[in-house]
Amino acid sequence: MNKAIYLKLHLSSRGYSNNGAFFSPENGDPVTILRQQDGFGHSALIPSLISWAARRHPAIPALSFPPNGIGATAARVRMFQPRMSQPNLCPILVTTALVLAAVQNRSVASDVVDFQRDVAPILQTRCLSCHNERDRRGGLSLQFMRSVQAGGESGAVLVPGDVDASYLLGLILPEDGVAEMPKGEAPLDASQIAVVRKWIESGAAWPDDVVLEPPVLWSLKPIHRPNVPDSVVVPAQFPIRNPIDAFVAARHADAEIIPAVGTDRRTLIRRLHLDLTGLPPRSETVEAFVQNTAAAAYEQLVDDLLSSPHYGEQWGRYWLDLARYADSEGYLGDSERPHAWVYREWVINAINHDLPFDQFTIEQLAGDLLNAPTLEQKIATGFHRNTLRNTEAGVDLELYRTKEIVDRVNTTGMVWLGLTLGCAECHDHKNDPISQQEFYQLYAFFNNTDDVGVPATRPWQIAEHNDAMQIWQTQWDELLQQLQQFEMKDLTAEQKGELMTKLHDPGKLTEINAIETLYRTKESGWKELTTRVEKHNKNRPVQPSTKARAFAERRKDRRETFVHVRGAYNRPGDKVSCGTPAVLPPLRARSAVPDRFDLARWLFDGDNPLTARVAVNRIWQQLFGQGLVATANDFGTQGAPPTHPLLLDWLATEYRRLGWSRKAMIRLIVMSSSYRLSSSSNSVAGQQQAGNQLLWRQNSYRVSAESIRDVHLTVSGLLDRTTGRKGIRPPLPAFVTEVGRSVKWPVSQGSERYRRGMYIFFKRTVPYPMLMTFDAPDATVSCSRRERSNTPLQALTLLNDPVFFECAQALGVEAAQQFVEKPREAIHMIFRRCLGRPPVEDELNYLAAAHDEVLQLMEGEETVAGGENRSAAMTAVARIVMNLDEFVTRD
Amino acid sequence: MTASNHNPCGLQRRDFFTSSASGLGTAALASLLQEDGLLASEYQLPLTHIAPAAKRCIYLFMEGGPSQMDLFDPKPRLNELDGQPMPESLLNEIKFAFIQKESARLMGSPRRFRRHGECGMDLSDLLPHLSTCVDDIAFVRSMHCEQFNHLPGQLMMLSGSALQGWPTLGSWLNYGLGSESKNLPSYVAMTTLGRGLPGGASSWSSGFLPSQHSGTLFRNQGSPVLNLANPPGISRDVQSRSLQTINELNRVRLNRVGNPEVASRIEAYELAFRMQQTAPELLDLSGESKATLEAYGLDRADTAKDTTAGFMGSYARNCLLARRMIERGVRFVTLFLSTWDHHSHLDSGLKRYTQISDQPVTALLKDLKQRGLLDETLVVWGGEFGRTPLGENRVNFKTVTGRDHHPYSFSMWLAGGGVKGGQVIGETDEIGWGVAKDPVHVHDLHATLLHLFGLDHKKLTYRFQGRDFRLTDVAGNLVDQLLQRPA
Repeated sequence: MNKAIYLKLHLSSRGYSNNGAFFSPENGDPVTILRQQDGFGHSALIPSLISWAARRHPAIPALSFPPNGIGATAARVRMFQPRMSQPNLCPILVTTALVLAAVQNRSVASDVVDFQRDVAPILQTRCLSCHNERDRRGGLSLQFMRSVQAGGESGAVLVPGDVDASYLLGLILPEDGVAEMPKGEAPLDASQIAVVRKWIESGAAWPDDVVLEPPVLWSLKPIHRPNVPDSVVVPAQFPIRNPIDAFVAARHADAEIIPAVGTDRRTLIRRLHLDLTGLPPRSETVEAFVQNTAAAAYEQLVDDLLSSPHYGEQWGRYWLDLARYADSEGYLGDSERPHAWVYREWVINAINHDLPFDQFTIEQLAGDLLNAPTLEQKIATGFHRNTLRNTEAGVDLELYRTKEIVDRVNTTGMVWLGLTLGCAECHDHKNDPISQQEFYQLYAFFNNTDDVGVPATRPWQIAEHNDAMQIWQTQWDELLQQLQQFEMKDLTAEQKGELMTKLHDPGKLTEINAIETLYRTKESGWKELTTRVEKHNKNRPVQPSTKARAFAERRKDRRETFVHVRGAYNRPGDKVSCGTPAVLPPLRARSAVPDRFDLARWLFDGDNPLTARVAVNRIWQQLFGQGLVATANDFGTQGAPPTHPLLLDWLATEYRRLGWSRKAMIRLIVMSSSYRLSSSSNSVAGQQQAGNQLLWRQNSYRVSAESIRDVHLTVSGLLDRTTGRKGIRPPLPAFVTEVGRSVKWPVSQGSERYRRGMYIFFKRTVPYPMLMTFDAPDATVSCSRRERSNTPLQALTLLNDPVFFECAQALGVEAAQQFVEKPREAIHMIFRRCLGRPPVEDELNYLAAAHDEVLQLMEGEETVAGGENRSAAMTAVARIVMNLDEFVTRD
Repeated sequence: MTASNHNPCGLQRRDFFTSSASGLGTAALASLLQEDGLLASEYQLPLTHIAPAAKRCIYLFMEGGPSQMDLFDPKPRLNELDGQPMPESLLNEIKFAFIQKESARLMGSPRRFRRHGECGMDLSDLLPHLSTCVDDIAFVRSMHCEQFNHLPGQLMMLSGSALQGWPTLGSWLNYGLGSESKNLPSYVAMTTLGRGLPGGASSWSSGFLPSQHSGTLFRNQGSPVLNLANPPGISRDVQSRSLQTINELNRVRLNRVGNPEVASRIEAYELAFRMQQTAPELLDLSGESKATLEAYGLDRADTAKDTTAGFMGSYARNCLLARRMIERGVRFVTLFLSTWDHHSHLDSGLKRYTQISDQPVTALLKDLKQRGLLDETLVVWGGEFGRTPLGENRVNFKTVTGRDHHPYSFSMWLAGGGVKGGQVIGETDEIGWGVAKDPVHVHDLHATLLHLFGLDHKKLTYRFQGRDFRLTDVAGNLVDQLLQRPA
């Protein structure tokens, strides 16, 4: 509520310094730094940029930074002599010291225009993102005096002292509120234009030694742990439970927004169950939680859910979206990947065991390159084996091999760095500082992998096989005993030996005729017995043989990597080797030839500004429906800026501090008051129209496609809770499977049919329609955030899909049988089971009326659903409740 | 105009497939409630970049690659050169799916071509029906592309990219223009009698566009859409009564929590119920005259003894249903006919496939014209590529009776919806190897199709993975010659 107080907090939390003077370590000269705001009221120096420059210019000594001032005001003006004499050097030269001068934005205080104080900030913020040495849009760079003097494609941009002759001014002067430059942006304001005009009039002075830096993207700035705001006044309904709340409250206060109340316990437990496991709580669990008002009850609940095996399923499913997991190859043919599930199972287990995110990453990108890798670590490399594969006859195999690698680079960029590297496949990235050459340096890491199948029969498969074998063997032994009774009386030892061999290695026994001469085949019962023997022999359990799809580094015939000119693999350009983008911290490789392991470790380099921010943002997204950065896969200039930059950075440092424990991070977030707020948009009077960027409430949204199925199966009691293992195929009408070529869809039998949605066999050309209707990704590329549409086809699916109707029947019949002649109680039970709360009177009345009328209708009709009328009417009630918005929504 | 995620033309619209507020609290409740009234009101014309000529499209997708020199593009010189090898210079840079370059020989066409219509169009004797309406048709003989395999070629033709995961043309239009129909999806796909497609559902996928822009698979008998029919034992009355209570309870919730998504849900259920009532009527042909049914050939005896028996009736039915959908406001209908992939037995294969399709396709054109629908209905006929002038000598083939894939020059045709009929655009060289005049790339075709719908292909964009994607990627030039009203 008090902007001044908040601003102070804000500044101190970033370690702002408003009067520090910095000196060059080289020669002790004072250096001026201009303040630049980045839209959030904070900004930072960019060691990564400096180190990038330092790598390009090894002659420059290491930079020193004042210990506390770094995270503060942005400094972009550098004061040292450009080393123009070295032609190969990038003309952006390095400063060796930086100094803070002013914190306040300055206006032109006097008639004298000072370039560094007045003009440079305008150029930096409004011009340099395009007109820099790298991009040179229109052939123009405004980074230093000489480049300005050189002009651009349209010639000279300014004539010192002559405003009218200066092209620049015409470009920035708005006409009807629109100016030619900055392109596609709001024009400069009048005072800024006045500054530029005055500067040109006064001779356009630009000190030789001043080089301007283009603005640096917020996400590439180093992560510093901000101080937690400690004097924010919060309303009683929003207690500060942990630092998250302090950061969130500070923004509330700043924007004068009132937080919602904490949500009720029934909603809270359902929210937590759905978020952590994807399954709704059982009614009894809800009631117990409502009763147990002990302070530790919620914390206990959180811990219980984090140790549930279903936690790994729910959070594994998010990861599988990123991994573009599917059970088939894609493209024409789209043949099955029968053992793809091994990777899925690995993900679930890894997440359940809380494999730290750095290790989780390293194993997936480079498990095969670890020292003496375990089988599990090899299985983990299946991450990048999930790419589409084109196996169509006659296809250009090399083309599609390169497309797979491109996908691997793009996916790695989006998943860990939040960078849309794909834009640099054909040309330098238009918006973010990634060159085409750098794209292919990353490509090189993946250009020497071989696709291998690693024998990976799972322990549970072996156990199951042994069990089945034991049962089979018992029956076999019994049959053998019966056979023995038919043996010829006078068999020689040799003949007995022959029988022993053949019967005890049943694999060799194809037909009983082969040994028939040794038996008394005329006796009654022989024929029946031999039929049984032969049949049983054929039913011998098959030894499981599972092969995980994995990576192996190519040791022979290693491929060289070239830039693909305009993205065409058969137009090789410059040769490149493994490397990481210059704008990010240097790769510290273990040897002269970097490999995927180095790349994976580099992601977790203490200086990498992206990985932690991106990772923690994804977790936040899953717990609030939207990330602090709305574009979870794009932290570049085209992505959304963070709504809570300080909170994001605090969480990023905290994730590292917690040893990259996903469970610990989730626990931290769900324990906050911010997580526990009500999601009703009318929970604060007068704020209903306000967006929720500042998190004054929780968000309310439809559960994911898989969870839609899971909540139905759970409340109906049909759910088969087996985790991991092979996929399933629920029934599908033929006209759906027939759209693909030769699609076999053998329907799963028994309780398997009722396994969770995430186990539905995902065939890329014939995706399970229900999943697609509810916005499951199509698994062609990595998916960072699913759409959440709300369509009539969804309504039809929830109303009429046979699986959902079966669930309604199961619940309806159960309720009708449990509460004979007591429809209102039965309705009550259904309602609580589905929604975790008792109905209010209106709701109960509506449902009771519907029940009675449906019953009447059914009694008047010839056919009834589910046999008996009462059960059928109660099925109709269950179906109504299972079609309510609340049932498929996580509030 | 840069598209926002859901509404590229900046219009607030709620229709069959885009009834989601989708974002979290993006739409204000008041405006949503107000829009509930919009259900009953008239459809509002979408905003377009330019005045649209076409309002709807029927895309007759001929999967597999129909042979252009046996249907549309007569090559007398090729017939003369039958059995000769190709000049080596032409073969150097070329990739084939199956042909062995060294021993391949040119193969003439056994078909006879005759001129038809006022415009004097050459058509093969395999197309006696189509020959009667050439004056409404623009034939493009200079189509070309780079994709010489089926699925990449099909994806290219359908979505502008050879890679899986891009939105198809119908999805782009749906995204750009919204839906015109309240009771049916605006983008429908139909296959022919159980013959699957190489790309399956990716042939009508919305790719990276939101899923509500995806095509909906219809079938031509029984219940047209998956889950349209009530479960067994749920009568229409029970369904109606159930929906009443679902909406009653959803309104209780809406009042309690105020989240606009609940209002969307209520609306979605109302639309779903309406669709249940109206969609089955679509398949009910009892109102069609005997003459119409006969014209389409629904009653034709299907003589084939192979597994494709029943094709003729099925495809004819699809064509008639396409007209009925267009009449009911569906914007984009794709009818897939699989497969024209005649690597061998080309001549008999073409006979069979023209027998299946020539009559109903022609009937569709005439029916649309007679009902005054053709002016605003664009009809497109074509596959993913054409076929080689070389006979296919695949390793295990004993005789040469077919042609391989050929994306470097092939034919398509368009009619109605602002297309200038009675003309041939482009030429191929004398043996039909390459384009000799006025090349039309698939991207050019797409740019032109969007233009006909009033959309500028460079401005219809969607931000995905940090990039503004277009149907035409980074290419595409308008084919002015195709337009009745030049740009």
